[in-house]
Amino acid sequence: MFKCVHKTVAITVATLVLSSISAFASEAKKDAIDGGMTYTRANGMYSDYFINPQIDKLKLNYGRTPTANELKAWDTDIMPDGTGLPDGEGSVEDGDELYEAQCAICHGDFGAGGVGYPTLTGGDISSLKNQRTSPGMDAPKRTIGTYWPQASTLIWYIRDAMPYAHPKSLTNDELYAITAFLLANNEIEVDGKVQEDEDVLNKKNFMTIKMPNRDGFYPAIDGEDGVENVRKFFTDKKNFGAVGVRCMKDCKDDNATVMRIGIEMKDVVPGYSTARDLPPKKKGGAEHPGKEAYDKSCAVCHKTDAMGAPDVGNKKAWAKVMEKGLDKVIVNAIKGTGAMPPKGGNMELTDDEIKEIVDYMVVNSK
Amino acid sequence: MNKMTKTSNTDVDTMVEQSVEMTSRRDFFRKAAVYSASAVVASNVLSPVKLLAADDENIVHHSKWGTTLGDELNKNPYGLPSPYEHNVVRRTTSLLSSGGDMHAAVSVTPLAELEGIITPNGLFFTRTHNGVAHIDPNKYRLMIHGLVEKPIVLTLEDIKKYPSESVIHFLECPSNGAAEWKGPQFNSVQFVKGMMSCTEWTGVRLKTVLADLGIDPKAKWMLAEGQDGSEMSRTIPTEKALDDAMLVYAMNGEALRAEQGYPVRLFLPGWEANLCVKWLKRLEFGTEPWYCKEETSKYTTLTASGKAIQHFYPLEVNSIVTSPSPEKDWQFLKDGDMVEIQGLAWSGHGKVKAVDLSFDGGKNWVEANLKGLVLTKAWTRFSYMHKFKEGETLLLSSRAVDEAGFVQPTVNQEKKIIGVEGVYHRNSICTWEITKEGEVNNVQMRS
Repeated sequence: MFKCVHKTVAITVATLVLSSISAFASEAKKDAIDGGMTYTRANGMYSDYFINPQIDKLKLNYGRTPTANELKAWDTDIMPDGTGLPDGEGSVEDGDELYEAQCAICHGDFGAGGVGYPTLTGGDISSLKNQRTSPGMDAPKRTIGTYWPQASTLIWYIRDAMPYAHPKSLTNDELYAITAFLLANNEIEVDGKVQEDEDVLNKKNFMTIKMPNRDGFYPAIDGEDGVENVRKFFTDKKNFGAVGVRCMKDCKDDNATVMRIGIEMKDVVPGYSTARDLPPKKKGGAEHPGKEAYDKSCAVCHKTDAMGAPDVGNKKAWAKVMEKGLDKVIVNAIKGTGAMPPKGGNMELTDDEIKEIVDYMVVNSK
Repeated sequence: MNKMTKTSNTDVDTMVEQSVEMTSRRDFFRKAAVYSASAVVASNVLSPVKLLAADDENIVHHSKWGTTLGDELNKNPYGLPSPYEHNVVRRTTSLLSSGGDMHAAVSVTPLAELEGIITPNGLFFTRTHNGVAHIDPNKYRLMIHGLVEKPIVLTLEDIKKYPSESVIHFLECPSNGAAEWKGPQFNSVQFVKGMMSCTEWTGVRLKTVLADLGIDPKAKWMLAEGQDGSEMSRTIPTEKALDDAMLVYAMNGEALRAEQGYPVRLFLPGWEANLCVKWLKRLEFGTEPWYCKEETSKYTTLTASGKAIQHFYPLEVNSIVTSPSPEKDWQFLKDGDMVEIQGLAWSGHGKVKAVDLSFDGGKNWVEANLKGLVLTKAWTRFSYMHKFKEGETLLLSSRAVDEAGFVQPTVNQEKKIIGVEGVYHRNSICTWEITKEGEVNNVQMRS
């Protein structure tokens, strides 16, 4: 400990003046890649924390080596240079059908956007300069065609994270088909032309795609200088808006005036309250047997009226559904109807579970 | 004790006689009141003082909780807050979700209700992209591979075998305050700045794990990928992985909450919460960035030039007054009362160095006092005693300065460089309007 104090005296004398850094704090330097501070791990200290200095001298060799098969199973990312692109192929036409069945329910027809879910198509790159500085102005359109810099991101993300309610369920052919459909609807060229229905996307022609907004981002992160470019970017405060000035008296601020809330966002859950009282007693007894499965598999669409799925609690909509009779409603739920896939896309649900879910939805929409 | 359990059948007079034998009269009467069918009579005996108009009943009369037996001590084997605190919760809104679908959404921390710099685990803000995954810790695996000599697979047990470190850091979503680029929308500090929390994290420094892997010097980048349905992934400079990055498995002394990535999340002090990948599955080292979905289509800051900032890691210096705030107004104050103004300051670039306050919307400033612990990349409390004047309108702003020399910009200064469509990394000065009646409203000083 004595050694530690001795070594850090010079640093702490300097830094104490600046702030309340403890007398034992390790050395702080402004040399991080993000323009901020790093702290040495020395003499048993890391910033204001005591640390066990033995740690940094050890090689612990824990864990085990993954097998080749395990690496293959998990190392499946798809990179801009084509690394990881799977074998397979799919046409725009097949993608259209798959999209309608599996994607449109959230993302809308042709990717035009659903209730709250991302819009995938439309807009123009020039819209990215739009600034809504007054009400009624157009927003910048951040879609696949106008914003996404790499096609690899699209196919990788769809494969791992989509469809939303049951990710990782697409075959490689389906994956290429849906990707082809989305590229076509964004008028992104493959092999030098916008794809028609019968055109097929595969591993090989995938590499001919150039995304329209490929150069729309900074700092430049590719190549040998990538990391250094990021560091350089953060050395200039002006680059990222860190331009505050510590003025104390008669500070000028571009004729700033008070802007108050126009229309307040009050739609919060649970509602605002700072009361210190007892919570209201819960109504009813045990939870409905269909509620949990509903929340997991059905609420995604039926809670929000996505793509016209009758939302639970909407008496009118459900009265209309029930005109068909309960049996038909259950059959539809099991077999699928309109935009709704069989069992809402969760084939693990048994028919009995579907019945419970339907009952839950009906009971809560009366 | 045996004697006491028998008293429930005896009358009050007998009990009073027995009390002579008791070592503590109060102890006896409390228990007697509970166990006796004549408890009401007993409480009269115990409240000889008559309630007068000027008296506070809560003092003159015995309380319910003082005259009944409380719950068994382990009724809730995992403790719960007092039921009277039931309004102190995370809140969400359809605006921060996919049209009301709460699987890809955000819930925010009730900042006005917090004390000190530690967020209780149940109140920690939450952001998920495909719901809250529940990982079986026995089946949990982390793979570290790519441009390393020795790729490894670790179980949770393996990870906990490494020597641990505990550090207090904030974690903030870069969307914190994103709804207000174009003007104030929420009248609540919870929604204005609640996409952040601060806890004591425990885990192992990533560099301790990487020490024997032999990372190729050409591997400038590291991919971090999650195991949840969205496989949330991000590219991180290897330099950060070898600086202060951690694999964390505990927060505030207990296992990570499922909402925070149980059993293991990557933690990058001071950087976007989105980079601190939850339910961590895989770290891969490579020469080029991966262009993940959440570092291209989202989490990039579109500026007025039409170009967007990518790999925008650090949460910049920031502050917010939490008291007063719309949730904690000044309507209860009397003219001339001294009142404490309190708030939180933080910076992903280092320690908070100072916080200034303005009462006139940013024209003139005074330096506030920091209080409590001042730690790097952690919430830091500030405090200032103010004399409340009835009928006075104030525009109260806070402005933080950090150890790396960054100062919080005004709304106009930030707008000039970023525009109003950036979504992420809004750290301009926040202002509360305090009305003549002591109400507090969210406003912005801008032109």
